[in-house]
Amino acid sequence: MSLSLKTVAQACGAAVLALALLPTSSAIAKTDLWPILKQQTFGDRAIQVDDGMVVLEAPSAIDDAALVPLTVRVPPHVKQDLKSLTLIIDNNPDPVIATLTFGPAAGNGGERSFSTRVRIEDFSHVRAILETEDGNLHMASKFVAAAGGCAAMMAKDPDAETVDLGKMIVKTFPPAVDSNPIWSGQVMIKHPNNNGMQLDINTAKPIPARFVREMTVKRGGELVFQMDSTFSISTNPNFRFTFGRGEDNDLDVTIVDTDQTVFAGHSDPRGS
Amino acid sequence: MARNEAPASPSLGITRQSFLLGALVFAASPLLRCLPVKAAGGFDVAEVAPGVYVHQGRYEMQSPENRGDMANAAFIVGDEAVAVIDTLGSAVVGRELRQAIRAVTDKPIRYVINTHMHPDHVFGNAAFKEDNPTFVGHYKMARGLASRADQYLATNNRMLGEAAFEGIEIVLPTLAVEDKLTLDLGNRPLVLEAQPTAHTDNDLIVTDTKTGTLFLGDLLFSVHVPTLDGSIKGWLTLIDALEKRQVARVVPGHGPHAMELPEAFAPEQRYLATIAEDVRHLIAEGKTLEDATKTAGFSERDAWKLFDQYHVRNVTAAFAELEWE
Repeated sequence: MSLSLKTVAQACGAAVLALALLPTSSAIAKTDLWPILKQQTFGDRAIQVDDGMVVLEAPSAIDDAALVPLTVRVPPHVKQDLKSLTLIIDNNPDPVIATLTFGPAAGNGGERSFSTRVRIEDFSHVRAILETEDGNLHMASKFVAAAGGCAAMMAKDPDAETVDLGKMIVKTFPPAVDSNPIWSGQVMIKHPNNNGMQLDINTAKPIPARFVREMTVKRGGELVFQMDSTFSISTNPNFRFTFGRGEDNDLDVTIVDTDQTVFAGHSDPRGS
Repeated sequence: MARNEAPASPSLGITRQSFLLGALVFAASPLLRCLPVKAAGGFDVAEVAPGVYVHQGRYEMQSPENRGDMANAAFIVGDEAVAVIDTLGSAVVGRELRQAIRAVTDKPIRYVINTHMHPDHVFGNAAFKEDNPTFVGHYKMARGLASRADQYLATNNRMLGEAAFEGIEIVLPTLAVEDKLTLDLGNRPLVLEAQPTAHTDNDLIVTDTKTGTLFLGDLLFSVHVPTLDGSIKGWLTLIDALEKRQVARVVPGHGPHAMELPEAFAPEQRYLATIAEDVRHLIAEGKTLEDATKTAGFSERDAWKLFDQYHVRNVTAAFAELEWE
């Protein structure tokens, strides 16, 4: 059996291939989707760009488009509570890849941050839009030169990935100095986060989409954040985030995927 | 290097030398000397053992200049037929490999064996379609290659340029190896063994029992930095098993034409073990993936070619695997 260029393109989405075959400079000059995305997501609200309220870190050259680390930082000089954070990858399918709504345990009084790993389909702007307590929107963005196509959605060892599906690790990290009221947490879950674009070689049909669509993180019953997410989060979703110090600093995490399967995790006791 | 050497000596007295980038062992060991065979157009193959021919690719990323000639490829001639082991990174250089075979023998090319799914080892397959061979691979290779096909084609089109990309197509195995399989070229059995996830999830090794030559594909890198696309734990475990094999010589996927066990594995084993140790240490300290990509394994930088091109990706893959321990 041999697959020609054409059948592969049809199987995986001709647009991906067509774009990839162009010189990279043409790819960059693609239609700017941001004005449309902005209108759809935020309506007519004003967005402050690069005003220092939010910082986005992403590598400019990507080694593995299926596993691109993104970090959003809210510098310590920002004193307001946070309402929401929206992550957008302009040229990904379903560009609004994650939306976080912060709760009372999100913390204040130090640097706050959120990190995850994402798939990037194509050369694209990546954006972090922060909504502060006063209702204002602040954006940081970065252009990322990664192109993976639908193949970037493939696990290195797909058979191993399905074995431990749902296994979750939740960790907490106290601040380096006791006076800092901001702790860090980490959530990892074994989940393929299939996007529905991968081809099952045995059936020549797409593998059904199944991905983490919602995550809720609580500290002592109080909400740290609730997140809605898409398949642009990498296989085995991984999140690092900050939260405010509490009476105890154990985290409860609930994750729901598109099959309506619910996964629950609890942080290992630390210092007790 | 090999081209200037004398014909193989009948002496079996090998003095094992400490391993230094392959080249010194190669020069010192009579068993590993090989006969040069010149083909048209400057495409070189060396006869590393009777009837076993190896072409050494360049230590480079694919480019219009090297036309995808950046991995090792080999062929074995039996009494009745020929088997090809890997076909290089384009149909253009695949055709040159085919011409080199035809310069040696007119026997039919019955098998084209791929050691794994990566383009620099399989994109020359198309050059052999006219021979109507059986294409042989690990039973997971078809899935791995087909699901990455669009990415591989797009990337290689960009990197090779139009001229060297001409004629490339995805040719999947027609014979899948689940465990162990013997193919016969006429008084010349080849033993093919599918391996557990290591360099990729579809690594296949081949032993020419007549000469004791073991083709390791990219389970063995020398000089060229290893590339991790499977499991670092699986790879380290597999090296422990493979280095104990009793064979006359091994052929790496990237490196000299032929090497000796167990020394051949030493640098790769050290590289992978260093990454694993550094990454585990960083994970225990609560450090992030980004932290690891800036520090882990950088003590290995001067020991390898193409380190800057592949190392960060290797660390990223190792971190994503080891953080689940």
